[in-house]
Amino acid sequence: MTLGAISRPGERDRLAVKLTHVDWTVCLLLTAIAGVGGMVLYSIAGGHWSPWAAKHLILFGLCLVATIALATVDLQVWFDLAYPVYAVCLLLLLAVPVIGHATLGARRWLQFGPVQIQPSEMIKVALVLALARFYHGLDLDQARLSWRLLIPAALILVPAALVAHQPDLGTAILIAVTGGAMMLMAGLSLRLAGAGLALLAAVAPLAFMFVIKGYQKARLLTFLHPEADRSGAGYHIIQSKIALGSGGLLGKGFELGTQSQLNFLPEKSTDFIFASMAEEFGFLGSLSVIALYAAVIFLGLRIAAMAHSHFARLAAAGVIVGFALCVLINGAMVMGLAPVVGVPMPLLSFGGTVMITMMAGFALVLSAKVHRYSEVASGSGALL
Amino acid sequence: MSRSPLFLDDVNARQGLFHRRALLVGGVAGLGLTALIGRLAQLQLVETDRYAELSDHNEFQVLLVAPPRGLILDRNRVVLASNRPDFRLLLDKSRVGDIDAVLADLGSLIEIDAPRLARLKAEVADAPARAPVTLAEDLSWEEFSRVNVRAPELPGVTADMGEVRVYPFSAAFAHVVGYVAKVSAADITKTGPNSDPILLNPGFRIGKQGVEKAFDLQLRGRPGEKKFKVNSRGEALSSEPVAASPAEPGAEIQLTLDADVQNRALEAFGADSGAAVMMDCRSGDVLCLFSAPSFDANAFVRGVSGPDYRALAEYERKPLFNKALTATYPPGSTFKTLVALTALEQGVDPGRTYTCNRHWVWGGRTWSCPEAHGTLDLHNAIAQSCDIYFYQLALSLGGPDAMAAMARRFGLGADHDLGIPGQKPGLVPDRAYKRRAFPRDPVWHPGETPSMGIGQGYLSVNALQLCIQCARLANGVQAVEPRLVASVGGVVQNPNPGFAPLDVDPAHIAFIHSAMSAVVAYGTAAKGHVADLGLGDVRMAGKTGTAQAHDYAKGQLGQGEHGAWSQRDHAWFIAYAPSDAPRYALSILVEHGGFGAEASAPKAAKIMRAALLKDPEIRARILSPPAVAAASGVAARAPQGRQA
Repeated sequence: MTLGAISRPGERDRLAVKLTHVDWTVCLLLTAIAGVGGMVLYSIAGGHWSPWAAKHLILFGLCLVATIALATVDLQVWFDLAYPVYAVCLLLLLAVPVIGHATLGARRWLQFGPVQIQPSEMIKVALVLALARFYHGLDLDQARLSWRLLIPAALILVPAALVAHQPDLGTAILIAVTGGAMMLMAGLSLRLAGAGLALLAAVAPLAFMFVIKGYQKARLLTFLHPEADRSGAGYHIIQSKIALGSGGLLGKGFELGTQSQLNFLPEKSTDFIFASMAEEFGFLGSLSVIALYAAVIFLGLRIAAMAHSHFARLAAAGVIVGFALCVLINGAMVMGLAPVVGVPMPLLSFGGTVMITMMAGFALVLSAKVHRYSEVASGSGALL
Repeated sequence: MSRSPLFLDDVNARQGLFHRRALLVGGVAGLGLTALIGRLAQLQLVETDRYAELSDHNEFQVLLVAPPRGLILDRNRVVLASNRPDFRLLLDKSRVGDIDAVLADLGSLIEIDAPRLARLKAEVADAPARAPVTLAEDLSWEEFSRVNVRAPELPGVTADMGEVRVYPFSAAFAHVVGYVAKVSAADITKTGPNSDPILLNPGFRIGKQGVEKAFDLQLRGRPGEKKFKVNSRGEALSSEPVAASPAEPGAEIQLTLDADVQNRALEAFGADSGAAVMMDCRSGDVLCLFSAPSFDANAFVRGVSGPDYRALAEYERKPLFNKALTATYPPGSTFKTLVALTALEQGVDPGRTYTCNRHWVWGGRTWSCPEAHGTLDLHNAIAQSCDIYFYQLALSLGGPDAMAAMARRFGLGADHDLGIPGQKPGLVPDRAYKRRAFPRDPVWHPGETPSMGIGQGYLSVNALQLCIQCARLANGVQAVEPRLVASVGGVVQNPNPGFAPLDVDPAHIAFIHSAMSAVVAYGTAAKGHVADLGLGDVRMAGKTGTAQAHDYAKGQLGQGEHGAWSQRDHAWFIAYAPSDAPRYALSILVEHGGFGAEASAPKAAKIMRAALLKDPEIRARILSPPAVAAASGVAARAPQGRQA
């Protein structure tokens, strides 16, 4: 392919050409992460593909194909669909308390025939889309400080509040922080951001006393004193630290992680999979996985920075911020640096909805790369 | 390239700000990831040893394997304490929800009566959570297999085979060998050997008395370990342990006791109360250390019920005390041997005579004797045990101190190291004692000397000390010390003790020997041939003694050998044999036995016979008596002694 060919009108829109512009490095990194996840899931099932590893890898494979396919979809389509998608996800989220499926004391799932979906995960991508769509048409002064910022604030806080009510504090915080980071990157006045943070700091103790549910309080307190409750909530943190620490430099070896193999580690396939991995592969293994995540975050932000359209920039950056937050929160939780909240390790943890929404997000990132030179026409797609 | 619909400046400003802010966000993310790596390094590199240990602790459960308790043997390797298999049922408390239901189910398989059920429930409730509780022991094979078959329906109940202590001679060695019993909460200490977790093992028992207690640690051995891999619910993943170290059996302990002699003592005493101690008067080996009446040591291994224990503890003949070591009484006339020796050593002529008219008035008081002996020399005073002779002889020795020194030289008034606890040292009084113990009346009154001369008053001794006295008299040269424990784990204890010299003139010893022979030949132990061995010329020499159960001098009416049992005097007898070549020495105490010779001398003869007949040299002598020996006898030796 020559420069001439690319610059020919219409040449960029050809599927074959678009595929060559897909960021294959990112795809490879994601595959590597999901592959490690599959290995760990195979190992902790005692060397069996079921119940997790096969499903995890097959779903990832399907998602990757879909992600690459979606990456070729013109950014304009995403732009036009942003608000409708957000609206649908918000409706589903509203439906959760009414017809939702309760597990472990929280109502987070919707059941559609054989399919279970988790609207709180879907809203993460929808919010990124909606915010990117909103800021695309906004000039910098207004993005800095104006009454119009109440709209993105509402876009963020309504789903965050709904999710917090489920209750799923971790995801709610994730949604709020992702949204906040996007507002910041879109140009929010740093003073206003600082004031907001200060207000949050002032409100947090009150929220702890009156809003947060008993078990969430217990988790937070347990995080502060894990030894006080060895069998209850503190058990998770203690066992996770034992799994990590006993892994040492080189790990106990594939299929030899006693903490996870013998079920001492709770939720070893989902929220605490990083601990399972670190136990078997040691410090070198966990360092490599962190490096994979770091590389994805770096490349993702670079894609955002290279995009010509503000929509693509913000959408890609929003997805990457959400991704990075997941990694940081889950990592901190597993390592005993943060309270136990239900945030999975992206692509490593077993879980369908999380994987699908995360890969849908990467479809946006890859699309931003493929269509980095394209502009998006604002105003189309209605609503605003 | 398509153009932006917005103004270019604004687009560039927006893009520029985004780049800066994106860099900020990326930087924050990078910092966060760096923090995670730091934390990983802390957990996985710095603190990894601590967590590896915790992980091991999670992964493995260590079961302790109780070691077989060391055997206790007699001098001929006859087993005095061993172990037998025990089919038992254990309950793992942590795996049972409804304990009452499990016990009810179990009741349909093995017999559990109501009081036992109540006791089991209390035991289960009291037991620490991690230690299994023993539900039943000594099951028959039928019961054991019945429970084993039904085991899946009885969660937490396991049938297993342990070992339990057994004492083949249930009562004969109950005091000296002692017994083991279940570990009580009071036995477990925070540190030291009794903090060992093996004590919590079901069915584990520790020594509570005698040798079992004194050598508990040696007999206990070292527990083995079986390391099982378990999951988070504590269930073993395989019945095969991942690692196992075998238990180290406890050390074997050989005693100097002779099972036949000890059993003969048990027989000889019957229902009588008292003690018998026999020593080899050359080596000090204790052949017999018996306290009567005794009890079944095996009952304590199983656990004695409250009423049974009270019955033993409250019985007036006190079966639970080891009277050979703890019962201290005045030695009575057995002490006359030492008074006589004191006199001889002070140069008193054995031909000195005193006249006994049954009564003797001295110091404003009338002193009496059981009979009127007439005029006696020292030899006959010993043989006839004349009190009036010894009142006056003692007075001529100038107070208590010389007699006390002689008594101590012969082992009275002191503890002797047997290796087992619980001796009472008794008392040998002298002027210093009087000063120490009676601050208001610190002077030794002359009137206290005659009582001491006949072994009464403040003097008190136990059967072991009297046996030592007898052994030293019989030996004549060395101050033999008793030895009870021959070897521990194959290591011989005190093989060549090197006894201190007795430092007494051999002629004086020979005199006492002849007098003690005369006691048996024609003296106080001759009546009714109570001290006859019936072994030809192998004869016993001895001395009777009567310890007053009440102080007659204080006006109490003594019952002597008549009246209610608890009012009767205590009978002593010390003896050694063969009289011409002393080999074995013994002491007999019969509590409330009345007059010494009749109650205690026959017992001494029986026990002595058992020892003599087991001795190959003496056996040979009995079977083919040398012609010369037949001519020599007590009658022939007695005058020699007097001449010396």
